[in-house]
Amino acid sequence: MSPVADASRAPGRQVAMVFDLNKCMGCQSCAVACKMLWTREPGEEQQWWCTVNTQPGRGAPRDWETMGGGYRDGRLVLGREPTREEIGGGWSFNQQDVFFGGHGRAVHLEPRANGRAPAWGPNWDEDQGAGEYPNSYFFYLPRLCNHCTKPACVEACPNAAMSKRREDGIVVRDEEACRGARACIKACPYKKIYFNHVRNVSQHCIGCWPRLERGVAPACVRNCPGRLAFVGFLDDTTGPIHRLVHEWQVALPLHPEFGTEPNVFYVPPLSPHPLRADRSIDESRSRIPPAYLESLFGSRVHGVLDRLRRELESVRAGGRSELLDTLIAYEFRSLLGPFTREPAQIGATESGASESTTEAR
Amino acid sequence: MTAANDARTTEDRYRQRQEFDRATFGTHCVNCFPNDCPVYVFAKDGKVVFEEAAAVLGTIEPGVPDMNPMICQKGLAWSRQMDSPDRILHPLRRAGERGEGRWERISWDEALAETADAILDAIAEIGPEAVVLEATPEIAATIPAARFMAALGGTVLDVDATINDFWAGQQAVFGKFTFASSIDDFFHSDVLLIWHSNPAYTMIPAFHYMVEARYRGATVALISPDVSPSHSHVDYHVPVRHGTDGALALAFCQVVLAEGLADLRFASEQTDLSLLVRTDTGEYLRESQLRADGRADRFYQWHPEKGLVPADPASLRLDFEPLLAGSLDVRLAAGGHVVVEPLLARVRRELDAHYTPELAARVCEAHPDTIRMLARKVARGRTHIILGAGVAKYFHGDLMTRAMLLLLGLTGNWGKKGTGVGGWCSSLFDGHGLALAKTKAGRAGAREIYDGFRAMVGGLRAQDPTLTSELGDRALWRLVGPARGMMPPAFFWYWHAGFKERWNRPEWNDPAMTRSFDEYWKEALESGAWNQSASPPPDRPPRVLLEIGGNTLRRTRGGQGVLLERLWPQLSKIVAMDYRMSETALHADIVLPATQHHEKVALNMPTPWTMLLTMSDAAVPPAGEARGEWEVLAELCKKLAERAKARGVEDYSDRLGAAFRLDDLWSRFTLDGVFADDESAVAEMVADAVEVGNLPAGTTLETFRQQGYTRYAKWGFLALATAQASPFPEGETHAPLRDHVELGHPYPTLTRRAQFLIDHPWFREGGEDLPAHKEAPPMGGDHPFLLSGGHARWSVHAMNTTNPVLLETHRGKPFLLINDRDAAARGIRDDAPVRVWNDVGEFVVPARTSPAQRPGALTVYNGFEGFMFPGGRGHNEVEPGLVKWLHLVGNYGHLSYTPMEWQPVPFDRCIPVDVAPIQEES
Repeated sequence: MSPVADASRAPGRQVAMVFDLNKCMGCQSCAVACKMLWTREPGEEQQWWCTVNTQPGRGAPRDWETMGGGYRDGRLVLGREPTREEIGGGWSFNQQDVFFGGHGRAVHLEPRANGRAPAWGPNWDEDQGAGEYPNSYFFYLPRLCNHCTKPACVEACPNAAMSKRREDGIVVRDEEACRGARACIKACPYKKIYFNHVRNVSQHCIGCWPRLERGVAPACVRNCPGRLAFVGFLDDTTGPIHRLVHEWQVALPLHPEFGTEPNVFYVPPLSPHPLRADRSIDESRSRIPPAYLESLFGSRVHGVLDRLRRELESVRAGGRSELLDTLIAYEFRSLLGPFTREPAQIGATESGASESTTEAR
Repeated sequence: MTAANDARTTEDRYRQRQEFDRATFGTHCVNCFPNDCPVYVFAKDGKVVFEEAAAVLGTIEPGVPDMNPMICQKGLAWSRQMDSPDRILHPLRRAGERGEGRWERISWDEALAETADAILDAIAEIGPEAVVLEATPEIAATIPAARFMAALGGTVLDVDATINDFWAGQQAVFGKFTFASSIDDFFHSDVLLIWHSNPAYTMIPAFHYMVEARYRGATVALISPDVSPSHSHVDYHVPVRHGTDGALALAFCQVVLAEGLADLRFASEQTDLSLLVRTDTGEYLRESQLRADGRADRFYQWHPEKGLVPADPASLRLDFEPLLAGSLDVRLAAGGHVVVEPLLARVRRELDAHYTPELAARVCEAHPDTIRMLARKVARGRTHIILGAGVAKYFHGDLMTRAMLLLLGLTGNWGKKGTGVGGWCSSLFDGHGLALAKTKAGRAGAREIYDGFRAMVGGLRAQDPTLTSELGDRALWRLVGPARGMMPPAFFWYWHAGFKERWNRPEWNDPAMTRSFDEYWKEALESGAWNQSASPPPDRPPRVLLEIGGNTLRRTRGGQGVLLERLWPQLSKIVAMDYRMSETALHADIVLPATQHHEKVALNMPTPWTMLLTMSDAAVPPAGEARGEWEVLAELCKKLAERAKARGVEDYSDRLGAAFRLDDLWSRFTLDGVFADDESAVAEMVADAVEVGNLPAGTTLETFRQQGYTRYAKWGFLALATAQASPFPEGETHAPLRDHVELGHPYPTLTRRAQFLIDHPWFREGGEDLPAHKEAPPMGGDHPFLLSGGHARWSVHAMNTTNPVLLETHRGKPFLLINDRDAAARGIRDDAPVRVWNDVGEFVVPARTSPAQRPGALTVYNGFEGFMFPGGRGHNEVEPGLVKWLHLVGNYGHLSYTPMEWQPVPFDRCIPVDVAPIQEES
């Protein structure tokens, strides 16, 4: 069955993800795993479907939070499309000149974007953060398409090229129906849709559906060495996703006010205690200003952080926490929901159906 | 057109992108942390299309998270180096000036003939020592290269000094540093002190254990001057002034003792704190001082009833509680009396006098309350210090380490799960050792080496019955190690590479030195301690430099400037073999294309961090004319014999009189073909390690190809491996040093105890006989900022610095991290170029401003190549590359050279510099 043939918006099952930001070290493995697998063709140079940015920061695309989109009072809002400079990346380098050009030290290796020194990139403001030394602070935020329950992109598409898959809720685009109108890009408040200038279509994270359908977890989740990304069906009441999102309610969507009802959730970040002017530690506070976290995750974030602190206190006192044990994920497989097959066990073929014999098993 | 663009439907397009026709297990044969990530390499039509973590590892210890998935962003993009424009595809000969970047393509035969002729010229003019190889942690290259050099008689520079990864502080205390916990053992900790490390960058596949330990109840604290990228997951961040960590550690110790929190039973047994020391000289009381026929390596404890009793050299077990306070009058053999006291009494006095939290706070800037709070937690919980190699890169890093270890020794925090501190061990695989030592092919050849080893250790233990198995292995390593051909590069740098002048600048050195560096140098050489290893001597200057996987112009502290100016002109031929254009390859005469990891069969770095050995497989054919190291060196052997015959070159000998022939070089190097290609060489190593070493029975190349990895079956027989001194872990995490703690096995130190006193006269004169805080000397002059470094997130050393995918995960270029207010005060803008300079040199680099940087501090992360900086010179240009004079001591018990251990290593942290925007300059 075609992933896009079923254009119905009737609710089916929803695959969701949870990222525990208290485990994220900003290593970019998810971003690189995605880049290597999905966006290596001409026209996709600037496409990083999954990015990891330092917060507070301007992010990628630069200042994306100010560009608009999503729903206001239940009505679709079209924001603006980021410029290629704001997206950044897709650089070229002058290796030939440096190594084989005969110029000695007159040239050095440097990135070029459209012939100029780049002004932004997928992770340009890495580790800069905010605050004032020694109480400066930052954390890392992995972002990809939220595969929203109310996808503004789907509604905005004038060519009916986009849909939500009934079997897993992944938001997909029929690229043959896409006319490059880019309304989806304007409508997406997360600015996670990219325009392919070579093929004249928009593209975004496909939720690794070609993997999901064979029981393999998305590349970003499966290659996260921090073991912080969970994937699974939101309605699986025994799974960690459901428990973290609905039962314990410690995983929150990013910018819930955008109104699209994301299906990617975040366990918000704790942070070390700040220092007072005399350098003593103020154990009553955390470094990241609560108001900043509220601006990202909504007002529920305070209760979540209190809950996490209580659980940590409890285990330090010798107690046991089912919530923290879930986040520990003693077995890596527990992060993967039903998608626990090793990728080398499947051999992708034209039909996508048969198993290949591979040397690595 | 690509296949994906041929797709008729969206569905086809994306299904096709994950297509592959071959999936093999792979890995990345380079030293990072923790190494040995089993990955899948997916290939299609003879090209690697992508790679992924192979999450195939099982649970080791029930209740401890598994190690899956072991991967990082570098491993995921490794294959992008294979077709990057800096890939070396053909043998090249320099066609312009060195470093100019003009090349002509030549044949392999020409390249090898030219290399062989240069080697023969060097041997004829100087001797085989004039052929120099810089050893490297590129393990797939370094084993064949070292075997080749041993067959030739050339000089191999010790890898732990060329990459600055020898940790003198551990060696001073434990007599060894090649022990470490497995990464999953972090999970057992109650307290994790992230200290001198930035695991969010440098321990990516292991980082989760720290967070998971926190979720289990551990307290995590980060001690670092900057608000480092590891700060956001900790409970406490304690910012300290650069280089004052020793003062902080000693204040922790003061609190532990003053508040009665010390584990004195542990300290008495495991450490020298219960040994008696003289109050007049501060030295240990020795048997030789009490009896004319007494030994200088026998020491005393204080029995509450019996008084003075000899400390048992064979066991740490105590059936009494030695007195740890007070003093005792002792009659000396030479006449007269001396007052002695337990070392702990002296340590306690020093701590109370100089390192109370209030006094230390003035030095390190941590608040006294914070010091007390953390000291109590360390004393009450299983504590592991996540210590990085960064500490070894401070001038007084050894002192800092000794202070940290004193804290662990006082609180019973090693030799138990969840405790301790790690070192660097790359020698866990017997197959590597055998591949270097074997003189006959096959299992019989391995058996011969192994039996010889065992017989020699048996002989040593028969001579000295106090030697445990570990001490026997180590005694043999000390005996034969220095003759194995690795040389501490300090001598090379000093005599041949222009470092003599720098090391002799008194104003850059420690003010406690009473003489010039040269006088200490002379005295150290005259002591005879370095006789075997001070090579190549001044009368044997280098002529040929082989870089096989290494990159001396990028990595050498002291900078490429001094090397290009002083070393390069002496070299008749520089030959670089690599798969990519490195800084050194760019400045070479001959460049040879090597296979990349996914094009060859090789084994990864063997370490206790994971207890895994992984294999990289030839997923695809080599690009261009690239060839594997074993094959190329075997061909070079043939070419040497051929050219020697043509030129009538006779046999030759090295400076110590060892004789070499060239006509049989190929058969000596390859053992008649076994070590002539990757697959055969690796199969030999695996089979040997099954036969006499530490791989499980039944392991073959095929089992690696089926499983992607193997777990070791035992420690193996190399001293650097048996330094773990713990039961081999079956179904549990690995914590080293358990044999010392659980069985009372002595340590390989002078006193057979974890040793905090080094009573060598130089150490006493320098105020370093005990752990102490000393300020970093102004290495490079008097300037307002301190420049430091650290491993990068985006590369493993230089490897992947030019990977086009990874370059987009940062700004695609090096940068100087500067505090935002410092930047504003100097008119420095984010991403604008600045000039950084001091009395050593200068470089230009774009700034990155951040409030996370400590005011007054600057950071350039390690790994960027010179050619990535405007002007072609990087941050190494302002590093004087100083070594510490005390590390020239080579004749004090465990402070003596063995390969990969005790030796002088240059420093690169806390370099005084100044910085200004470029616009100001022009």
